[in-house]
Amino acid sequence: MGDVANAFFNGEIFKESIWLLVKTLPTVFEVLVLGLVCSYLWGLILSLMRLSRFRVLRYITGAYIDFFRGLPLLLLFVFIYYGLGTAGLKIGALVSGVLGLTLCYGAYSAEIFRAGIQAIPKGQMEAARSLGMTNGQAMRYVILPQAIKLVVPPLTNEFIAMIKDTSLMSVIAVPELLFRAKEKMGVVANPTPLTVAAIIYVVFTIPLIRVAARLETRRRKRPGGGIKTPAGLPPGAEIDLFTADITAQLPKGGEMH
Amino acid sequence: MTAMIELIDVHKSFGHLLVLQGVNLTVAKKEVVVVIGPSGSGKSTMLRCINGLEPIQKGQVIIEGEDLHGAKTDPNKIRQRIGMVFQSFNLFPHKNALHNVMMAPMKVQKKSKTEAEEIARDLLDKVGLADKMDAFPEELSGGQQQRVAIARALAMKPDMMLFDEVTSALDPELVAEVLGVMQRLAEAGMTMVVVTHEMGFAREVGSRLIFMDGGVVVEEGDPREMIVNPKELRTQKFLSMVL
Repeated sequence: MGDVANAFFNGEIFKESIWLLVKTLPTVFEVLVLGLVCSYLWGLILSLMRLSRFRVLRYITGAYIDFFRGLPLLLLFVFIYYGLGTAGLKIGALVSGVLGLTLCYGAYSAEIFRAGIQAIPKGQMEAARSLGMTNGQAMRYVILPQAIKLVVPPLTNEFIAMIKDTSLMSVIAVPELLFRAKEKMGVVANPTPLTVAAIIYVVFTIPLIRVAARLETRRRKRPGGGIKTPAGLPPGAEIDLFTADITAQLPKGGEMH
Repeated sequence: MTAMIELIDVHKSFGHLLVLQGVNLTVAKKEVVVVIGPSGSGKSTMLRCINGLEPIQKGQVIIEGEDLHGAKTDPNKIRQRIGMVFQSFNLFPHKNALHNVMMAPMKVQKKSKTEAEEIARDLLDKVGLADKMDAFPEELSGGQQQRVAIARALAMKPDMMLFDEVTSALDPELVAEVLGVMQRLAEAGMTMVVVTHEMGFAREVGSRLIFMDGGVVVEEGDPREMIVNPKELRTQKFLSMVL
């Protein structure tokens, strides 16, 4: 027993590792904030293209989304950093990381935004259009403000996954938590730095997991309270939002002018 | 004088289902046309074709002399002149009553906030909701929501209004307050097409009654006369069931 405890909780190394790893946090935050903003923006754009009335655009976007949802993020990082680098297109490690997150998480969040947009009752778009709004105006002022409230819980879950996936950047030499922890482990020949890294990850992810869970239960229990559920949304629709296959509800292009 | 609304041989189908099979209708200025008919007769679809919410397969929709589906026509511009009120209210749940009404004048007509608010307050006052301006849709009764929806449509200063079974989703005791607003609107000279089951409204407010069945206009005439003395067999059957 004592050996195991010493291997993972060596007091001396533990103390050294904490400061060493906390110093990587600015880098991790930088990647995360950029990744969050870029991937959600990209996801929103993709979702709108996916719902476009132009068939070609819908198909291209659909193919993009499927492709990047099916691709391992690790492979994507390696491809961007080493693959493109070898091909003569050298991109910095941090930029490669943010680019990888954006390409991949953009595809994930596009599906979430799409489900959120489609969960808004059809009557909302019709009411907006009947007032003379263009499709774009109706999206911007009527549909998206409601859809974005709906997608906050699932996007929070995405963000948690994104925090964990920053560890994949250790293979492309982004000086983040796992990268430094492995380095230290090599030096001291003891896995305690990994324990410290794990604790730091969990310190950030667990509160977010709780927040996401609360956002979801609050919605289900009190449809009127807190964050407002769009009127006319049938009970359970939001739950369906995250589980159901919503492809069938895809509006056909060109229904309205 | 040009008709406000002119439907010429309008055909509309959903897939293989033929919903409108050659509808002809002309609505003159200040006319209140009440449309009745069994469910599935195409009356709501016809209404939705008037402002282009539904595309049509054949025929013409002409609004104040302009072909809605014409190559040079901007349907958004035409819709600004046609107010529409829905059975399910369709208020914007993320905005309060005042902002529901202000939105289109501000975003579509680019009116200033002050101007839009003035219009909205005046209209909400007219529909009897002066004390509910700050209420969100979920805090309002069905009748109140529907009156906000009417005010919202009127805020664009439309030349005509379409009402799609606007009292069908309401509790019986709330029907009168909405019909009252519509009656005053008709008396003020608004051109209206009203799809409804309220025969009392048809008789008292309607200037013309249209009976639709199977995707065509079966009979039309003066409501007071037609309700008592329908000519067509199908009209007789339908009226005997709803009266």
